[in-house]
Amino acid sequence: MTTKTYHPQQSFNYQTSRSSSQSILGLIKNKYSISIIGFLIFIIVSLKFLLNFIFPQFYIPEFANGLNVGFYDLKNYEGLPDGWQHEERILFCVPLRDAAPHLPMFFSHMRNLTYPHHLIDLAFLVSDSSDDTMGVLEKHLKEIQNDKNHNLRFGEIEIFEKDFGQSIGQGFSDRHGFEAQGPRRKLMARARNWLWSVSIKPYHSWVYWRDADVETVPATIIEDLMHHDKDVIVPNVWRPLPDWLGNQQPYDLNSWQESEGGLQLAKTLGEDAVIVEGYAEYATWRPHLAYLRDPYGDPEVEMELDGIGGVSILARAKVFKAGSHFPAFSFEKHAETEAFGKLCKRMGFSVYGLPHYVIWHIYEPSSDDLKHMEWMAQEEARQAEESKIKTFYDKIWNEGFEDVSKDWENDRINIFKNTDTSKFKSSKDVDWSGVDNFQHKFQLQKDQDKFLAAFDPSL
Amino acid sequence: MKAAINKNQFLRQIRRRPFTLLGPLALLVLIYYFFFSSPKSQSKYSYKVKKAGFFDRKSDVIPRNLPGDHISHYDLNKLASTPMAVYNKEKVLILTPVSRFYDEYWMNLLRLTYPRELLELGFIVPRTKDGDLALKKLEKAIKQVQTGKKENRFSKITILRQDTESLASQDEKHRHALKVQKDRRSNMALARNSLLFSALGPYTSWVLWLDSDIVETSPTLIQDLVSHDKPIISANCYQRFYDEEQKKDSIRPYDYNNWVESEEGLKIASNMAEDDIIVEGYPEIATYRALMAHFYDANGDPNTEMELDGVGGAAVLVKADVHRDGAMFPPFPFYHLIETEGFAKMAKRLGYQVFGLPNYLVYHYNE
Repeated sequence: MTTKTYHPQQSFNYQTSRSSSQSILGLIKNKYSISIIGFLIFIIVSLKFLLNFIFPQFYIPEFANGLNVGFYDLKNYEGLPDGWQHEERILFCVPLRDAAPHLPMFFSHMRNLTYPHHLIDLAFLVSDSSDDTMGVLEKHLKEIQNDKNHNLRFGEIEIFEKDFGQSIGQGFSDRHGFEAQGPRRKLMARARNWLWSVSIKPYHSWVYWRDADVETVPATIIEDLMHHDKDVIVPNVWRPLPDWLGNQQPYDLNSWQESEGGLQLAKTLGEDAVIVEGYAEYATWRPHLAYLRDPYGDPEVEMELDGIGGVSILARAKVFKAGSHFPAFSFEKHAETEAFGKLCKRMGFSVYGLPHYVIWHIYEPSSDDLKHMEWMAQEEARQAEESKIKTFYDKIWNEGFEDVSKDWENDRINIFKNTDTSKFKSSKDVDWSGVDNFQHKFQLQKDQDKFLAAFDPSL
Repeated sequence: MKAAINKNQFLRQIRRRPFTLLGPLALLVLIYYFFFSSPKSQSKYSYKVKKAGFFDRKSDVIPRNLPGDHISHYDLNKLASTPMAVYNKEKVLILTPVSRFYDEYWMNLLRLTYPRELLELGFIVPRTKDGDLALKKLEKAIKQVQTGKKENRFSKITILRQDTESLASQDEKHRHALKVQKDRRSNMALARNSLLFSALGPYTSWVLWLDSDIVETSPTLIQDLVSHDKPIISANCYQRFYDEEQKKDSIRPYDYNNWVESEEGLKIASNMAEDDIIVEGYPEIATYRALMAHFYDANGDPNTEMELDGVGGAAVLVKADVHRDGAMFPPFPFYHLIETEGFAKMAKRLGYQVFGLPNYLVYHYNE
């Protein structure tokens, strides 16, 4: 029995092996396929060789872990337009000053960011804060880093503290007054430089700058800016306004293109002067990114810029590694972010803005606005008080002039029915004819005693 | 009933050829998809990771030894650069752009007496075959030190490969030709900046720029320069050579980039085109600047300071704050100055003073 079952199995095995060897033999025998395979191998090898020749492969040293030695080829971190698909790391820089009230909103945006969070390294600089910015920041960071959803957790997070000393207040009008601009912007430039220069690593491919007080921003902001493949790029920044100020307004006037007027103005100024945009004192007639917005325009439209604003900047890390920074001195008559744009241009980098792609800054009232709002509040209270008085007054007035004609219609009958003597009146007319008759007089006289005593009025 | 159906033309058509319904139905489905399919179902971008292809080569591993929640905290208000650097345990970062590796440079570096646990090194090599050669030698030298005794190891070493293409020729004669000076020094400035900002940490107090061809300094170089407590201070760079005429070993000035601005220099600059640069040591541009190299007095006090307007990069100690404020090496003509000289100008624009030590020598390699 066993031998009988064994035999067919063996013959089956033999047959399959014979057929497969036959097919391989057939393939090898086919001269065409050999030459095709050979040709393919040749192509691949020569391509590799050619590529190495065109892009020479450089030596890469290898250091064991624990030696505290790192080797980085900066060519690998130049920033691709689809960096998120190449696992490119991005440094997310946030300068903070008295920002505690804005942080909850800021972190709600951070949670929504679609750029892979583990590729985002955060760097915060907390400077000259009188409120609990640090405490609130740490609370939010710990919350997000210990979230059950690991996709929310960020890469490396560095918090830096550095006070630069401020002579200028942080109220809207303190910050945005004309005289304050030069020194203030130089100080902010220092703060920005400290932040990026201590946090940037050789393996960062991109750097994204973001202010904490942005109210509305797409979750895809980083990808939206990155895919434009520019060295430095900014969106348009507007802010919402109350109805009485016209609903909306351009916020960031620091993004502009240089103009003849601007260059001429620059020539007339001293070495340390700083031109600031959006102030009547310096009329440069430059085209501003903010004013070129068309709400229905294509958000992909790009515009070349010379100066840029700092609310939201995406830049290749190589821009900073090459030495571009936020000049804390007057560079070509500008400072901070505007001068950063100019410096990048000077170093041959591309600087662009997106006129129809808008993010929204929060609305902070200026002191004029505050005055107006205070007046409006007072006015509202006054009007409320006035209307209250008016209702009372009207009530009294109306009560004083109440229309009682209807009541009178009802009352008069009751009132007058008691005084009405008409029913006692004789219905007969008195006949006075002949009164003047002497004869009659005489007759009266004649019957005087008799008639007068018997006088009856009803007759 | 049947009569009613027969009377209706459309129903009759459907009864006869039911497949004619397919056309309008398909149209309805299409319309539905065009107008009612939610756009949210497809995200704007693809997040599929593109793996490195057959021809790509990315081998750098990002070292990360992060704290538990990845959060670290630095109080930069406490970061200081004082003349008592060793006592205060201030970290010094030594930066060297390396186009050629000299054993003498490395030996001299190892002779420095500043505590190694407070020393960080940074190197950048050009994107050339020369760079490969230097890198291999550097790798060997570093491995020897970092695998040695714990107390002899440097606290951290960063090596970078420059991303920008370097100029091919680095011969002594070509290197100093006036025409190629601008491109060469612009590229050098880029290398310096990349190195500086990649390696500068939140704990660095001082940055020492030491050129790869500086082969002899005092072992107390860092302590000596730190003791002057200046934002930027430059040593005087000389070269040892054999004097054929006098038949004896001698020294001669090498680096002419440490200078004090002159009336003549400013005048030349004001008449220049925006993109032109002034370089020292060329008879074509006679600036009559006071060059620190000529102020050396063999019998003078080595602590003598002089205020400068331009510096060379041979051996310069900089307070890290100066760099953090934004003083970098301009790769473009900045006030007609470039690289280290432009750096001195930028630091001055930021309100820092620049000093030199005419009687304190460091020695350049003799080619």
